[in-house]
Amino acid sequence: MPVADPITPTDDAVLARRVAQASPETDHEAEAELCRRFAPRVRLYGLRHLRDEAAAADLMQQVILMTLERLRAGALREPERLASFVFGMCRMVVLDLRRGTARRESLLETYGDALLPVETPQPDPDHERLAHCLERLPERERTILMMSFYDDMPAEALARELSLSPANVRVIRHRGLERLRGCVTGGDS
Amino acid sequence: MNTSSSCQSPLDWRTLVAYWLGELDPDSEARTEEHYLGCAQCSRRLEELASLAQGIRALTRASGVNAVISEAFVQRLVEHGLQVREYRVPLNGSVNCTVAPEDDFVVSRLEAPLAGVTRLDLVYVYPEGAGEMRYEDIPFAAASGGVVVSTPIDTVLALPTITLQMRLLAVDNGSERVIGEYTFNHTPSEQAKD
Repeated sequence: MPVADPITPTDDAVLARRVAQASPETDHEAEAELCRRFAPRVRLYGLRHLRDEAAAADLMQQVILMTLERLRAGALREPERLASFVFGMCRMVVLDLRRGTARRESLLETYGDALLPVETPQPDPDHERLAHCLERLPERERTILMMSFYDDMPAEALARELSLSPANVRVIRHRGLERLRGCVTGGDS
Repeated sequence: MNTSSSCQSPLDWRTLVAYWLGELDPDSEARTEEHYLGCAQCSRRLEELASLAQGIRALTRASGVNAVISEAFVQRLVEHGLQVREYRVPLNGSVNCTVAPEDDFVVSRLEAPLAGVTRLDLVYVYPEGAGEMRYEDIPFAAASGGVVVSTPIDTVLALPTITLQMRLLAVDNGSERVIGEYTFNHTPSEQAKD
């Protein structure tokens, strides 16, 4: 087994190489670091496309397992393109999930022990603060943020409901979000 | 791509919001995804946005804040299985109202002629000289013939028997005129009293 490259904070390619080079052994440190880095990002991809926390967690698990599987098999020819590789996995698994042909069970059976628990960010629990900040927004900004994010409605559709132009909705939405972020993070109480 | 905390070409906030709400064209969307999947800094910013969006969604769903909303939005709430109690209040009219613990939302439709109105303010008038709360420049669609107001359900559930008023004001070039006044004769529901 080759001597492992040290993991630096800047190099995903090192991780990919270490996982591939360790095969048929397992480089637990590299695989754990890969999970830690990529799992939260894959979860975001899942939330964006599946709009469901449980489905996003499912996607996250499958993509990480499949990525490890391919890396161990030496299927990634250019380790510098690990993010593109993961992106491809994400797209494929979302399609699979939508078709209901998930490979989750067999993957878990084969690679489940490699999948360490990964901490994924939890929703901000301080709803009281967020409510306070939302209440303080100008009415139009509050309405547009609530109606935009309640069910992730694009500006075009929202503009029709409120008799505004899409550009106007985007401007108000941007202003509202900036103000809300400032308030929630304490810059503007 | 790398996981460095400093990104050479960070995705700006507007792009992240547009991405999250599905407004980007397919090529831009793919570029955005490939970027943040390989970028610690941009994925953290997207996480911040996702968390904020989740919080807004939860508060909206819980009827946690006052808001002027659209008719179509009320329909979406109903379609999502939420229990919406609705009161239609005629121009300068009144309504007897209540809410029950099983209600998720209470919305008031204030009928008003809004043609030609450029800015509309909504005023909550509290009884016995307890003051007013004014919401300036509320969103409205003139053709809808009124506005829809959502009041936090917990606030209404906690009210005793009381008469409240809302007033709509048209504001133009520094002058204002009353468009309509709306009276709510509220009584707690029997269940709410228990």
